[in-house]
Order: sequence, then C-alpha cells, then structure tokens
Amino acid sequence: MRAAPHKLKGFRNTFTRFPLMLLLAAFGLIYRMYGSNIGSIDGRTGFTHTTRWAPQSLVDLDDSAPSTPATPGKSLATVLVTPPSKPQHSPQIIPFMAPAPSKLYSDDVSLLVVALDTNPFFWGGASSNPNTPSLSFSRFLNHLLPFLNSIILLHQLNQVVVIATGVNSCDYIYDSSSPPMTSAASESRNMPSVCSAVLQNLEDFLIRDRQIGKDELAAGNGSSLLSGSLSLALCYIQRVFRAGPLHPQPRILCLQGSPDGPEQYVAVMNAIFSAQRSMIPIDSCVVGIQHSAFLQQASYITGGVYLKPQHLDGLFQYLSMVFATDLQSRSFLQLPKPVGVDFRASCFCHKKTIDMGYICSVCLSIYCKHHKKCSTCGWN
Amino acid sequence: MSGGAVERRFEFRKSNGVRGEREEEDREEEEEEDEGNGRGLEAWERAYADERSWESLQEDESGLLRPIDNKSLYHAQYRRRLRSLSSSSSSRIQKGLIRYLYVVVDLSRAASETDFRPSRMVVVAKHVEAFIREFFDQNPLSHIGLVTIKDGVARCLTDLGGSPDSHIKALLGKLECSGDSSLQNALDLVHGYLSKIPSYGHREVLILYSALSTCDPGDVMETIQNCKKAKIRCSVVGLSAEIYICKHLCEETGGSYTVALDESHFKELLLEHAPPPPAIAEFAVANLIKMGFPQRGADGVIAICSCHKEAKVGGGYTCPRCKARVCELPTECRICGLTLVSSPHLARSYHHLFPISPFIEVPSTLPSNNSYQRLPKNCFGCQLSLPNPGSNPVLRVACPKCKQHFCLDCDIYIHESLHNCPGCESLRESKPSNTTKV
Repeated sequence: MRAAPHKLKGFRNTFTRFPLMLLLAAFGLIYRMYGSNIGSIDGRTGFTHTTRWAPQSLVDLDDSAPSTPATPGKSLATVLVTPPSKPQHSPQIIPFMAPAPSKLYSDDVSLLVVALDTNPFFWGGASSNPNTPSLSFSRFLNHLLPFLNSIILLHQLNQVVVIATGVNSCDYIYDSSSPPMTSAASESRNMPSVCSAVLQNLEDFLIRDRQIGKDELAAGNGSSLLSGSLSLALCYIQRVFRAGPLHPQPRILCLQGSPDGPEQYVAVMNAIFSAQRSMIPIDSCVVGIQHSAFLQQASYITGGVYLKPQHLDGLFQYLSMVFATDLQSRSFLQLPKPVGVDFRASCFCHKKTIDMGYICSVCLSIYCKHHKKCSTCGWN
Repeated sequence: MSGGAVERRFEFRKSNGVRGEREEEDREEEEEEDEGNGRGLEAWERAYADERSWESLQEDESGLLRPIDNKSLYHAQYRRRLRSLSSSSSSRIQKGLIRYLYVVVDLSRAASETDFRPSRMVVVAKHVEAFIREFFDQNPLSHIGLVTIKDGVARCLTDLGGSPDSHIKALLGKLECSGDSSLQNALDLVHGYLSKIPSYGHREVLILYSALSTCDPGDVMETIQNCKKAKIRCSVVGLSAEIYICKHLCEETGGSYTVALDESHFKELLLEHAPPPPAIAEFAVANLIKMGFPQRGADGVIAICSCHKEAKVGGGYTCPRCKARVCELPTECRICGLTLVSSPHLARSYHHLFPISPFIEVPSTLPSNNSYQRLPKNCFGCQLSLPNPGSNPVLRVACPKCKQHFCLDCDIYIHESLHNCPGCESLRESKPSNTTKV
C-alpha cells in the first residue's frame, strides 16, 4: 500500500486517502447519472426542438387538440393515418402535420362553421317514404337557431358561419363577423339578429337552389353536396388563419340528413385529409335515418365527434351538450365515443366489403379476385 | 473547403486514403485559420454582412420606398411552378404511386460547412425529417430507406420501412460527418437493396450531396449504367455547386438535378420530390397486389401483438389471413407477409389520379364598362372581397370548368392542399368519371 514517493504526499495518510476516494466515487456517480444528459444536448438537438415548427400557443397545444388519447378509439384515430405523437408531459412536442405556419390560438375562442343540410328531398319527403325524418325543417331550425345564438353568446369573440348544403349548389348563409344589414326584420325586438339573418338568407338560397335544379331531372339518390360545403368551410378557415397571428380555434359541424352520395367519395376524402392536416376537427350530427359512413370516417380521422341522436325532439340538448364546447374544454368532458368505424374497402366489381383484395398498382382499383388485366386502367 | 474545383480521384487502397486525408486536413486547418484571422467579425456582424436585407428594397418613380408585394411574388412563383408541372401534358399522366425511395445523406467533411446555419448536416437532417412526413402523407403505400455516406463508405442507416417513426428516430440521433463522399459506393449499395423489391414498385434514389467531389473505387460510369439498366430513377439535390457527374447521373436515369441556393430554397426543392413523379411505363410492371383490410379489434380483447411481442389490451388490427395482431397501419404482417392497409390510405393517393386543372388568371383589362358589375365581388371560396381587376397585379383567378372566381390564396390552398375545386363540387352535374366507391 506504499505509494511511490513521487506521488501525492497526502495519499500516504489514511485519513486523507479514504475521504478523497469517497469524494471521487461520488463525483463519478453523479457524472454517470447526469453526464449522459449533458452529453446529448449537443447543438443539433438543441436547435431542432426550439426553432422548428414552434407552435407558440398561449394554451398548451396538448390540451387544445381534440385527439387526446382519452379513449382507445380516439387514440386509434391518430394511429390510423400517420399519428401526431402527443405524450402529455412534454410541452414542446412537434405535432405530426405537414408544414403549417406557426399558429397562436386564443383561449376559449372558437370559430364554428356549420354545414347545414337543406336538401328538400330529405326534409320534404312524403310520409310514405321510409326516409322521412321525424322532425320537420321548421322545428329543426327551432333547435338550431338558439344553438347558434348560444355559441355567439358564450364568448365575445366567438364566430359562427353557416353554409348551406343544397342539392344543386352550396353557398354561405350567415357570417356573424360581417356587419349586420339593417332591415326591418333585424330591428325586431323579439328575435336576435342571427335568427332573422339566417332565415332570410336561407329562404333566398332555397329559391336559388330550386331554380338551378329546375331544368334538370332529380339526380342520384337524393344526396346533397357535402363535398362542396366542406370545401367552402375549409377555404374560409384558411382565410381566418391568414388574417393575423392570433385567431380562434376553428371547427366544422356537419348537420346532415341526406344519404351519402358515392360519387363524392374522392372529394370528401380530400377535404377530410386537408382538415386533418390543418388540425380542424369535423363534428357530425346526423339527423337522418341511417348512419353516414362519410361523416363517421371524417370525425374519426380528424378527431371530431360523431353523433346520431336517438330522440330528435331534444336536438337542442344534444347540440348544446356535445357540440357547443370549445376544443380546449373537450379534454375534460366525456363525449360520445366512436363506435367501430369500418375501414374495410369494397371491391369495384361486386360492391361488397372485402377483407383481402387485389389492388392495381397503377390506378389503385380494388378487386376481390385476381385478374390478368385491370379493367379500369387497362394495364396487364 | 475543397477549393471549389471539380475533381475525381481514384483511390484503390484505404491506407492511401487515410494518409491523403490527413494531409488534406492539415491544409484545411491552415485555410480556416487564415479565414478566421482575416474576418474578425462577430456572429451578429456576420449576419449583416452575409444577408444584406436592405438590398431587397425597391424605390418607385419619386424615390419613395415601395412596399414589397410578397403576395403577388409568391403567387407568380406558384403559378410558374404549376405551369412547369402541367406543361408536359394536359391530360392525366400516369404516376408511380407505389414508390421505394432511398434517401442518401452525404455526411462527408463538406457537410460540416457553415454556409447553411448551423451546419449543412443539421439543416439537411431537419428538412429530411419534414420531407419524410410529407412523403408518407402523400404516398402512404410507399417505403423509404436512409443511407449515409461517410469516410468514403456508404452505410444503411435504416431499412426500407413504411412508417415514419423509425427513420425520424434514426435522424435525430447523433450524426457526425467526416471523410470523403463516394457516389459510386452509395449507388452500389442502393442498387443492391433495390434489386430485391417487388416488380410493381417504382425504384427511386434521392441524393442530398454537399461535397464537390467523389472518391470512387472503380468506374462510376459503369455504376450509372447499372442503375439505368435496373430502372432506378436517381435525383440529386446539391448544396454546394453543380457537378457534372451528378448532372450526368440524373440525365441518364431520368431524374432531376437541382442545386439549392439557401435554406428555404433547399426545403422547397426537397419537398418537390414528395409528390409522385410521372412514371415511365416500362419501369414498373403493373400488377394486382394482394392486400388485406384488417378490422379493428374489439375493446377489451387481450392479444399478443406481433410487432412488440407483448400482450396488449384492446385496439389493434387483426390480419385477415393469419389473424395476428398488428398495432398500426399501413404495415406488413410479420407472420404471413401480407400488406395491410385501410381505405383512407388508398384514398390519400386518389388526388394524384384525379388532379384538378389549374385556374386561369382573369385578365386585368376588360372590353366594356358594364362587365364590372357582372363580375362577382367576392371570392367564391372564402368570401374575401375582390377589388375590380383594373390594377396591375392579378388579383383573381377563375376555374375553367365552373367559372367561379377565387382569390390568390384560395388558389394556392386549393391546388396544394385541398385538391377539390369548391365551385365544381358545389355544382350538381353528371360526372361520368370519379365513380369510385368504398
């Protein structure tokens, strides 16, 4: 144990040797525990995490985003198509989306774009028609207009836009941020201005819609132009995003009664993916008879809520309980969970849903049996 | 800096290479010291010296500063790009939707240059991550692999995979750059990997080249001919200067060669490779590929997932052929090898098959005075009020099919993200095409 004479004199003394070694061991331990962390904060990771997308939200984006993994169904929505990874503990998570300009969301302020189905084939169906809703259009508006008014009253800066989905055209009906037009109806003390404006514009729109369709025969299965109103809603929301650094949190609410038109599938899916990319949830409230597969997929993929109310007499209750809350508060509520969305495809030849199929590598047509030649694009 | 000269050196033994490297490093250190002494600028001063933002101001006739109209510049740029993309043919061109792409990242000594801040390697890694996400967003059925070139040797960083997470994790790890760059070694490695993929896939390589030279163990022209025979489409995005060998490679294989001027330009050039390129018909055999559409497992069912090899409760998907559980889609079943997708993944590629026609500019001069009243006052998409077309910059565009007017921002959004014309979708018409159904 005799150290060489040229080494430190202190080491020879037992009283100084052991505490020194203990101190060294302690330093070694501390370095091993924390040193690895220090080593990994090199310049590169430091840069990437602070200067990239940097969504500098006043509200922590984890809370405001609709797709919180509170339910297994909702987390699968994120898993299904290229997930946004959002562990709750880390505030600087970069959400997976295509490059969007950095956005600042205001607390609690929402922009609600309502896509309202005004298809006369649905609302005005004869009682013998099994697709007739149990609610008439006027009673439906009785539920809808107070709901719109309540959204406007919830916050001073809330904004509501109504787009009508007609059978031959789509158009803007109401925008709460545009200056109100002075007319005799709006000055009435009994009706708030939103009601009168919506009713007036809706009537004008329905007259125009019928005018357009007068020359042509009734087409299709009585579906309305859902893809048109979704596209208009998305264009409007992009305009709001461009308006300034601080803007409300947008969402789209689809009130649909007509059945889905299969010719609109590609356009509706394009709109859904664009909404997913801009992080705009699409909520759906189906007042028709059957479920809408398009809207189920839309709500699932974008992280919105899909609801088919059982008792249409209480529609206002459903609307105000489920769809009136802003996105930030949704993480605290138990909202209707998505029920088994079926993402299987149908084959082009028989139109039945298949588990395994054959896809053409050129045109992506789906077949149930192997063919030598693709009938859609003609390649073999 | 390697002097800016275009060189090709043939090196046959590694020991020669190591010695040569050390000599060159000594020379480089001397150059760097000279540069450091000559400049003597702080980092904030260098920002002014390098960027010179005052040069982009303009003056009008009376000498007052004119505000730069970025919006119309951006729109003009966008329309040029759109015209160049659609100029080849007005009808639908076939695109390769199932792509197997290798991204080759150059981690040679030249990647540590600081002309892109903080260094070329950092900028490349950052933008490749964005590119990977965009790529899988636009091509959900395709696969990407990553290859790096360092010390003259090409190594595979990640294998061909269909989900972005593994690649991004590898990119975020520590990357170091050193040594020379070798184009031939990279092409040989990629050629070896891409020869194993199925015949219906389109083979592509995207090389991000920072170096100004390539150090190859053999004849790189022969490798280029091999790639051409194997039908691999090679594209290069250069970060330093145009190099003849890269240009030759791209011309021979049918790819595109671009050189980035600065960071934002690099990002733009890189993201241009995300949408599928026009396919050359002989390159991939058209086939019917067997794919499975799994159903979601019921909540509460306990199963062992085949990707993580651990028991999971609820969720997940069941392979229709072998009934194994997988966690996410799209993927390949590990047990039976069936490609598993869901219908939204296929739907993501439909807009490549049914593109919308570009909008035409509404001319600013009109024949008669009455036409001002007939023009719509608002953009059809966003209801923004459009001023009358009398002033010089073009402020409105119209769809050739439905004749609705749109503002410039809606035009960009519709063509880049939405892929639906709101005017055409809001019109009920008998459409003979687009009769796909799920």
